[in-house]
Amino acid sequence: MNKKKQAFCHTRAFWMFVAPAFILFTIFFLVPLVLSIGLSFTNFDGWKKMDLIGLKNYIKILKDIEFYKTMIRTFIYTAVNLPFKVILPLLVAVLVTSKLLKGTTFIRTVVYIPVLLSALVVGITINWMFGQEYGLINFLIQNVGGTPLEWALNSKLATFVISFASNWASIGYFMILFIGGINNIPRELFEAANVDGASKVQVFFKIMLPMLSPTIFIVLLLSTVNLLKEYALIQGISLGGPGTSTTYIIQYMFDQGFNQSKYGYASAVGVIVSFVFIIITIIQFKFTKGGGEV
Amino acid sequence: MKGHNNTLKSAKKTQQTQSILVTILGFVIAFVMIFPIIWLFLSSFKSSSELFAYPLHLFPEKFSVASYAKVIQNGFFIYVKNSLFLAVVGTLITVIISAMCGYAFAIYRGEIKYTNKVFGIFLLGTLIPGEILTISQFTVISELGLYDNVWGVILPVVTTTTGIFMYRQHYMSIPLSLVESARLDGASEFKIFKDIMLPLGSSVTVTLTIFSFLWRWNDYILPLMVLSDQKNFTIQIAIKSYIGTMGVDWNSILAASILSILPVIILFIILQKYITGGIATTGVKG
Repeated sequence: MNKKKQAFCHTRAFWMFVAPAFILFTIFFLVPLVLSIGLSFTNFDGWKKMDLIGLKNYIKILKDIEFYKTMIRTFIYTAVNLPFKVILPLLVAVLVTSKLLKGTTFIRTVVYIPVLLSALVVGITINWMFGQEYGLINFLIQNVGGTPLEWALNSKLATFVISFASNWASIGYFMILFIGGINNIPRELFEAANVDGASKVQVFFKIMLPMLSPTIFIVLLLSTVNLLKEYALIQGISLGGPGTSTTYIIQYMFDQGFNQSKYGYASAVGVIVSFVFIIITIIQFKFTKGGGEV
Repeated sequence: MKGHNNTLKSAKKTQQTQSILVTILGFVIAFVMIFPIIWLFLSSFKSSSELFAYPLHLFPEKFSVASYAKVIQNGFFIYVKNSLFLAVVGTLITVIISAMCGYAFAIYRGEIKYTNKVFGIFLLGTLIPGEILTISQFTVISELGLYDNVWGVILPVVTTTTGIFMYRQHYMSIPLSLVESARLDGASEFKIFKDIMLPLGSSVTVTLTIFSFLWRWNDYILPLMVLSDQKNFTIQIAIKSYIGTMGVDWNSILAASILSILPVIILFIILQKYITGGIATTGVKG
C-alpha cells in the first residue's frame, strides 16, 4: 500500500517537473508541427481563406521549376562549403593545440569572437568589407592595380561573400569541438609515434584523423544542416540576390509564405524540406556509422 | 660525444625556428579573423562624408561619434532595454524549466517506464529545424494574441532540447542514493530538487545561462516576424530596419552593430572558460 502510494507520488512529481517544458514545447513546437502538415493540404492565405485542397500544393511544388532551382542551388552551396567547414577549423585546432605555439589563449579567444555575433551582424560585417564602391577589399584591389569586383552584382561573387561570412562565423565554434577531440586522444599514442620516428604529417593522418572521426562526424552533421538552412546571414548581405542567385530553400519558403501570402504552399515546402533534412541526417548516420561513439 | 651534443643543439634550434613559424602563423590567422570586426569598429567612428570618400583610411581622419549619437537619439536604449528584458527573462525561464525537466528524466528513469519515451518527444526538437516551423509558429502566436507582444518572442523559444539534455546527462551521473536518503529524512520531491539537486547542477546552469542569453540577444528571425511596433523592437530588428528599401543607413548600422556586439564580447572574455568548457563537454551550439 505504502509502495503504491509512493509510486503515485513520484509519478505526480515527475509530471509536475516535466509539465512546464512539456506544455510550452507542445504549444510552440508540436502544435506548429501538426499545423504545418495540416496547412500543407490547404490554400490558407494567412488571413481568411482556408479550404482543403488535398495534394494540390505538393503537385504544384513538384511542377515548379523555381523550387527545383532553389533546391539545387541550396545543395550546391552546401556541398561546396562543407569541406571548408570541416577542414579549416580542424587545421586551426591542430595549430592551437601545438606545444610550439606561443599565445595560445589569445589566439583561441580571437578566433572564437565571430561566433558571438548574430547572423545578421555577421552578414553586415562581411558585407562592409566587400562593398562595391567603398569596400575595403575593392580598395585594396584597386591599390595593387586591379579592377574592382562587382561583389553584389555577380552571382558567383555574391555566393562567395556569403560562403566567406558563413565560414568566418563558424570556424571558432568548430575549432572548440576539435580542440576537445584532440585533447581526448591518449598522449601515449603521440609518444609511441614519436619513438617510432613518425613525421608530423604521418601523425596527423595516421593518428589524429582516425581518432577524431567522432568529432568530424558531428561537425559534418551540424554544418550540413546549418548550410542547408542558411537564411539570417543572407539578410545582412545580399537579401537573396542578385536576382535569386543566393536565395536558398528557407528564404524561398518565407518568401512564398509571408511575401506572397501562400501559407499553405509554404507549409508544403516546409514539409518537403523537413523530409529532405531528416533523410540527409539518416544517410550521414548510416554512411559514417555515427562516427563510432558520439 | 661532441657530435651528439651538436645534433641536440641543432634539434633544439630547429624546434625554436618551428615554434617561431607556428606562432607567426597563429597570429596571422587571429588577425584575419578579427580584422573585419576591427574595420567595422574603426569605420563606426568616421563621419558620413569620410565613410564614402576615396582613398579609404584605416583610422578615422577625424574621430566622430556622430553615428553613435544618431542611433542613441533614435531610441537605441529602448531597443537595448527590450533585448535585455527578452534575454534575461527568457534565460531565467529556460534554465528553470530545463533543470526541472532534465532532472525528472534522470531521477525517475528507473521507476517510471515511459520517461525515455517522453524524452524522445523532445528530441524531435533537434531533428526538425525550427526555421521550417516558423510560419505555423507565427500562426499559433497570433491566435494566442501574442502578436507584437514581447511574450510572443520569449515563450516560443524557452524550451530547448539541448538544455534539457544537458541537465539530464548531468543528473544521471549523480548517485540516486542521495535522493533516497533525502526522502528518508522526509523531504518533499520538490524540496529535494530545489535545495539539494539544483545547487549540484550549477556547472550546467552557468553554461546554459551564458548560451541562452547569447541566443536570445542575437535572436532575429522570430522577433522580426512577431514584433511590429517600433517601441517593441530588439537591437537586431533595429539594425535590420536601417537596411531600408530606400537605401542603407550605413552610419547607423555600423554604430548599432558595434553597440550590439561590445557587451557580448566583453562578457565572453570574462566568462570564456565556462563557454569553451561548455562546448567541449556538451556540444552546445554557440
